[in-house]
Amino acid sequence: MKGATFLWLLLLALTALTMQSAALAAAGLSAGMLVMLVLVVTLAKGYIVIDHFMALHQVNGAWRWIVPGWLLLVLGLIGYAFNLNPT
Amino acid sequence: MWFFIFAELLVFGIFFLAYAFARARNVELFNASQLQLDRLSGAINTALLVTSSYFVVRAVERIHHGAARACAYWLAAAMACGGAFLLLKLGELGAKMEADISMSTNTFFMFYIGLGFFHFMHVVLGMVILGAVALKAWRGGYSAAEHTGVETGASYWHMVDLVWIVLFPLIYVLR
Repeated sequence: MKGATFLWLLLLALTALTMQSAALAAAGLSAGMLVMLVLVVTLAKGYIVIDHFMALHQVNGAWRWIVPGWLLLVLGLIGYAFNLNPT
Repeated sequence: MWFFIFAELLVFGIFFLAYAFARARNVELFNASQLQLDRLSGAINTALLVTSSYFVVRAVERIHHGAARACAYWLAAAMACGGAFLLLKLGELGAKMEADISMSTNTFFMFYIGLGFFHFMHVVLGMVILGAVALKAWRGGYSAAEHTGVETGASYWHMVDLVWIVLFPLIYVLR
């Protein structure tokens, strides 16, 4: 259970990092980089929930990759859409 | 249950992409409207759902050891987090209504209220599922050998959490 507790705390820390994106923007990080950072953090959070909390790391074969594949596809297309017309 | 979860993820994925591509055609409107959201409330709700997911992991771990009562306690704690999420979300939506903001205000708020309500209903359903599983666990209906129901309910709740993990940055943060 120590592993799960660590991952829970990591998820909370990553949520706090997402909240700090406005401060990073003020510090001069470009809009494109900021979108990339937030999406990578979201990917990491989602992967923790999928692989460890849903316990899909215990599943063999293609079934294991359906949900991570969904996450990667959705976040990738969101990143693409946000870069169509960056501010 | 997994086919149901895949279908749910597919539907949410389509809504997320509809938001992202609609935003690409109305960037100024979406950015200006997003400033009216309570980002802190969204972050607290993320912490609540992430914590509830952790509690569900603890519940599953307990039933693996045959501790049905402890499993029920952890599920109740997860439901408490879910309840707090719903209260906070209701407060957020109530504040928008007081400010005369509705789904017809503009495209951004159509997505914000529509997606928020759709996810809200999934949290409600998830709490009903967790409640039923907790009650059965409390009554001794699960054991170390047979606890498929606990794992099925847990998977649904993690899906609800996963969807919010994407929804929060998409609507409240990314600009």
